[in-house]
Amino acid sequence: MPREVIHSDKAPAPIGPYSQAIRSGDTVYVSGQGGLVPETMQLVGPTVAAQTEQTLRNIAAILEAAGTDLAHVVKVNVLLADIKTFAEMNEVYRTFFPVNPPARMTYAVRDLPLGVLVEIDAIAVMPD
Amino acid sequence: MSRQVIATSHAPAAVGPYSQAIAANGFVFVSGQLGLVPETKQFAGNTVAAQTEQALQNIAAILEAAGTDLAHVVKVTVLLADIVAFKEMNEVYSAFFPTQPPARAAYAVRDLPLGALVEIEAIAVLPG
Repeated sequence: MPREVIHSDKAPAPIGPYSQAIRSGDTVYVSGQGGLVPETMQLVGPTVAAQTEQTLRNIAAILEAAGTDLAHVVKVNVLLADIKTFAEMNEVYRTFFPVNPPARMTYAVRDLPLGVLVEIDAIAVMPD
Repeated sequence: MSRQVIATSHAPAAVGPYSQAIAANGFVFVSGQLGLVPETKQFAGNTVAAQTEQALQNIAAILEAAGTDLAHVVKVTVLLADIVAFKEMNEVYSAFFPTQPPARAAYAVRDLPLGALVEIEAIAVLPG
């Protein structure tokens, strides 16, 4: 099965040895994204709400480059720096997935790269 | 590709903006499940053993609603609140996958939603 590297200038450049996403067949695997603004590579802000919004925008940009979109996401992982921000994250998250949201797993980890407060990865399928 | 929301009353309703599972491309992506009893939304008990059993029963119910079962699970992620509970989790887990168990990653995280002791997600294929 072919394996295609996906790249978008509208999402942060990788900060390590990974691709923004890989498309294989009808499935797109998006790398964990943080709340970095692509143009500046700086965190969009110090809150979970702001970082969640930027993170999901980054994922949306990568999915667009792959030829699909948030409505075709099937599985998400949300990694939080602090589980107390679960509700704050959800409030922003739900606006990106207003209906039929993806399957998801959420948990707090010990530390995230660059000191981000939230990291999100996703698996999507291609549109029909 | 079709992307189908899976929902069953035999597993706990989502505690956030996610679906219990999404079926797409012949795979079923089951959201991270906690040891919550569907009828009461309370934890099945305060032990890793009790919560592991309930979480896997919840996954089994979701898979049944999707038209598949535990024997068709290909990949599992087990998140523990404490790595000391690894053996206790395994003893219950192995009863649900007596032969040819799925690929799996298991690790301890900082915190799980609702103060859970274990969270389990699964990816399954549809039968034959």
